[in-house]
Amino acid sequence: MTNFLDAYSIQYWLESCPQGYLMDTDYGHPADEKEPALVIEDPVLRDAAIRTTVQLVVGERCALASSSGLVGCAPDAPSQCFLATQTLDEARHVEVFTQRLYDLGVKKKELEDVIARYANPNLVKFAEILLEKVDKKDFVAGVVGQNVVLEGMAFSVFEMMETVNRDPNPKFAHTLTGTIADERRHVGFGENRIGSLIRQYPERKSEIEQMQKDMSYFMLATFADNFRSNEMQQEVEHARDELDAGARGDATWQGVNLAQAEPAEIEAVLSDTILKDFQARLGRIGLAYQTPAKPRVAA
Amino acid sequence: MSSVDVDPGADRTRGDADETPRRRYELEDLGFDEVPKKYRKFYRRWNGPGDTIAPNEALCPVCKVIIRSPRELRAGDRLYCMACMTRVRIVAGENGGLETETLY
Repeated sequence: MTNFLDAYSIQYWLESCPQGYLMDTDYGHPADEKEPALVIEDPVLRDAAIRTTVQLVVGERCALASSSGLVGCAPDAPSQCFLATQTLDEARHVEVFTQRLYDLGVKKKELEDVIARYANPNLVKFAEILLEKVDKKDFVAGVVGQNVVLEGMAFSVFEMMETVNRDPNPKFAHTLTGTIADERRHVGFGENRIGSLIRQYPERKSEIEQMQKDMSYFMLATFADNFRSNEMQQEVEHARDELDAGARGDATWQGVNLAQAEPAEIEAVLSDTILKDFQARLGRIGLAYQTPAKPRVAA
Repeated sequence: MSSVDVDPGADRTRGDADETPRRRYELEDLGFDEVPKKYRKFYRRWNGPGDTIAPNEALCPVCKVIIRSPRELRAGDRLYCMACMTRVRIVAGENGGLETETLY
């Protein structure tokens, strides 16, 4: 059997990504696709789309800072090479989601103010835990935090969002499809690389498991803020009033029809899916999943 | 050998405990564009829990892509998921079916 590290090459990335699923795309989607008129023209739906997209930009900025920081502390050339491709993937994600904010009508000069206004504080704390490990050049913790926890979360969040948007907003759904394809490589690297490294450094396990627990808590708190807010309730009701059942399409994900489910039900299926996924991924690489505390319901 | 020289489905299998001849399958490109062109026929997208997995297919537990082999799969076979660059082994599941486990 060849060394698994041999798989990480720029050539492979070129043939799979820019020459594969990103061929002929414009900011991640076919050039002729636009945001639906309803999203642009309806202030409630537009505001909801901007708020959601800001969280994606914040998460991807974290991933960009993290992957670029890990290039310099990777223990071998193939890992450096992979993280270099991941850095470009993350930079692309920042760009395509930022472009979506512009498509939704955010002016370039307003961008940072809009991000500061809407960025969820718990998501920022989630990112800070990871970036602290990267700042300390802690490769093992950084890759678990980034490629298992952050990317594992993104993988499920993007899948769910792609399902919801597939019929009513193909442009955004296609943008998400490309990012999901990238996330497959990222989570694969996390498991493959750390699976072998964790055996070399078993003394690191408890500290890394604590990091996973802390990051998971702030992830759940982000979801709680989002799905339990009055704004979300109103937006969901408004969107359902504006979009008839046909336009919403079949939005079944993990057995739940997202087009009809209440926000609390969507939060539960998303959280449950991600936490189970963390448990499975960590178990495969020899780490014990730590159950995070349940965030308190915001007033 | 570079990653693109790895042939994920063709005769990398080792599950030979059952000596009855294996069914063979003609693979065609099903539109999975996340790997280099010449390997696309070895993969397809998974359509969720209701998706029927054929005897020559296995679900990658890491990235949830279906890996397709030109031969019927059996416990002990080894496959490569090029979408997430993970090696997997086919194992007998508790319900009598086949499952996958990662090889790190």
